[in-house]
Amino acid sequence: MLQYLIILLDEASVPYCHSLNPTPSPMGEPRLIPLDTLRAGIVFAMKENLNIQFVYPTRSLPDEYEAAIESIDHTKIKPEVLSGEADVLVLTGWETAKAEELDGATCILHTSRSELQKHLAKVQELLSRVARLNVVLTDIEEFKDEDADAYSQMLDALSDCLIEQFRQGRMVQLNLLTDRLLLTEMNNCGAGDTNVTLAPNGKFYLCPAFYHEDANQSVGDLTTGLNIKNKQLLRLDHAPICRHCDAYQCRRCIWMNGRLTLDANTPSHQQCVIAHLERNASRSLMQKMQAEGIRMRDARPIDEINYLDPFNNYKQWK
Amino acid sequence: MNIKESDRGWQSGMAKSITFIVTKDCQLACKYCYLVGKNTKERMSWEVAKQAIDYILDREEEFREESVIWDFIGGEPFLEIDLIDKICDYLKTEMYRRNHHWFNSYRFSFSTNGINYHTEKVQRFIEKNRNHLSIGITIDGTQRKHDLNRIWKTPEMEQGIAPKPEEERGSYKDVVKNIPLWLEQFPGASTKVTISSADIPYIKESVLHLYSLGIKEVNINCVFEDVWKDGDDKLFEEQLTELADAIIDGRLYEDHACSFFMEHIGKPMDRERDNQNWCGAGMMLAVDAAGMFYPCTRFAQYSLRSKPAWIIGNIHDGIDKNKLRPFLTLDRCTQSNEECINCEVASGCAWCQGENFDAADTHTVYQRSTAICKMHKARVRANNYYWNKLFRKLELQEYEEQKRKSNHPACEL
Repeated sequence: MLQYLIILLDEASVPYCHSLNPTPSPMGEPRLIPLDTLRAGIVFAMKENLNIQFVYPTRSLPDEYEAAIESIDHTKIKPEVLSGEADVLVLTGWETAKAEELDGATCILHTSRSELQKHLAKVQELLSRVARLNVVLTDIEEFKDEDADAYSQMLDALSDCLIEQFRQGRMVQLNLLTDRLLLTEMNNCGAGDTNVTLAPNGKFYLCPAFYHEDANQSVGDLTTGLNIKNKQLLRLDHAPICRHCDAYQCRRCIWMNGRLTLDANTPSHQQCVIAHLERNASRSLMQKMQAEGIRMRDARPIDEINYLDPFNNYKQWK
Repeated sequence: MNIKESDRGWQSGMAKSITFIVTKDCQLACKYCYLVGKNTKERMSWEVAKQAIDYILDREEEFREESVIWDFIGGEPFLEIDLIDKICDYLKTEMYRRNHHWFNSYRFSFSTNGINYHTEKVQRFIEKNRNHLSIGITIDGTQRKHDLNRIWKTPEMEQGIAPKPEEERGSYKDVVKNIPLWLEQFPGASTKVTISSADIPYIKESVLHLYSLGIKEVNINCVFEDVWKDGDDKLFEEQLTELADAIIDGRLYEDHACSFFMEHIGKPMDRERDNQNWCGAGMMLAVDAAGMFYPCTRFAQYSLRSKPAWIIGNIHDGIDKNKLRPFLTLDRCTQSNEECINCEVASGCAWCQGENFDAADTHTVYQRSTAICKMHKARVRANNYYWNKLFRKLELQEYEEQKRKSNHPACEL
């Protein structure tokens, strides 16, 4: 069921997920969403009972835009370089991210695995300040089976960083490791199912990535409404691999599914293996917590499994 | 009681089917042909064929199926008989040299329009590979039925200009002359008949005609594309009912089979127990002249009206297994709508994954096309009629037989 409307306030709104970087506008400067479109988007959300998430660019908005935004209950996703209040901060670079200014914040960090490895000390610093850090890996497509050990080791190091914080009584969240501890069912991207995106051109997209990839992939507009074809294929019950899976924290990015497997309901081998390495690392984290007597409210035990890609079990499901 | 059943095919379910799209050219321009991008230019080279073979045979551990069907398709495959002969020689040599587990468990398979069947080169090839060959010649039935669709291509057609009806030249006579030779060489051979809207009035006469030519097994199906007009299902049911009468009254069921009539179709299907996919796309492999790999030929660009080709790799970079995952996890219910899942006559209702993809609203193989629905239901009604009539006849025959026996004194005391 649709619950969220994501409104991109600008063609260059900050990417917060597995999206491409916004394409520079052919006209030169990226364009803000027209004010009328913004207002119409807000009205649409009100009529459909949707929570709005506004995604900001790195530049400030005119006052009348802020006034329109404040006319409705909402969430703000902003680049950390932009001043003013925000619910979610997107860190735009390792150097610009100042941990001391992020106390209690929810942050999103885009990084490759190698950059993450290189900046583990910085991650530790961030974890000592923020309430939650969402790491979005930008190189999932390049992941190879032989990278698995290195990624597991890095997750183990991150797990030690978390334990360090937990010992001090700071129950900080890191999506790669703590989400799976708390989830009892799949909690994935939900593009086109629980959320839909309104772009500055007044058209709807399954998520920002579809808009940035090709603006012709719209699924309706503010005038004619939503028209999501094969909507059932975006749901978990129509995803043959994912519905058998317990890597509940997996992004299950349907945009990346389309790129790598050519079908939105089918995840790639890379996405499955990475999600399972994270799942198994979450299990190890829980064991470490238990050994240290650290308790996390609502955390559930995670079973041991002997596979990294549930696709390999597909013959058992049929 | 003797009822001939359809042949399930060599090593059914245990063989890997690997298709070489050796040419996209054909002498004919059949009106119902789903190959919308046929052309004379895309002919496979020996280099591409060899690289494809080497790629496959080099990876014996990835192709674990017990047997292999090396399939050759076009267009018309026998237009490339020299290349095919070279490919088959190389395959045999390489499977032997590598001690490959497919050596001595292989077939070369062809679907041909039959026009070049009698030629010296094709006959030499048949002689050479006789024990490992399956060849199906497509003949659609009576001359009027066959010539309705299976017409010769004209040079103008390559420029996109359709011939006037009076200029159309059917291919029946060019094919039927080769049927006796084909049946002599492959006595159990079957033919494949395709039914489109315009063919419906000729179904009965066509099946009976094929039987009269000596073809004992007729595999026949309606096209999956959305071509059906109002009333087609009624006419179809009538034709099949008349065909049922002819087969039963003429006792043809004893040594002939027609795939329209199958005992176990037309039943409800369980969501969990009967959840298998119908089609083998993804389990098969096809390669074309450009060296591109596909999950089946129907995903090559020349077969698709409105979607881009679903390429799963190429002979240089190999197969991208990610692009096969949607096929290998397909099941019946995930791709079907609720009406199909709950249908009371669901069993035997077929689909083509390629047509599903081509007709789908999005880029997916998970949206089942239902264009064939009313035709399947009509077939089920005629099929029920067929089996009820046949079983009653056999029952009465048996009763008469028993009665005759019981009236006969068993022994004298």
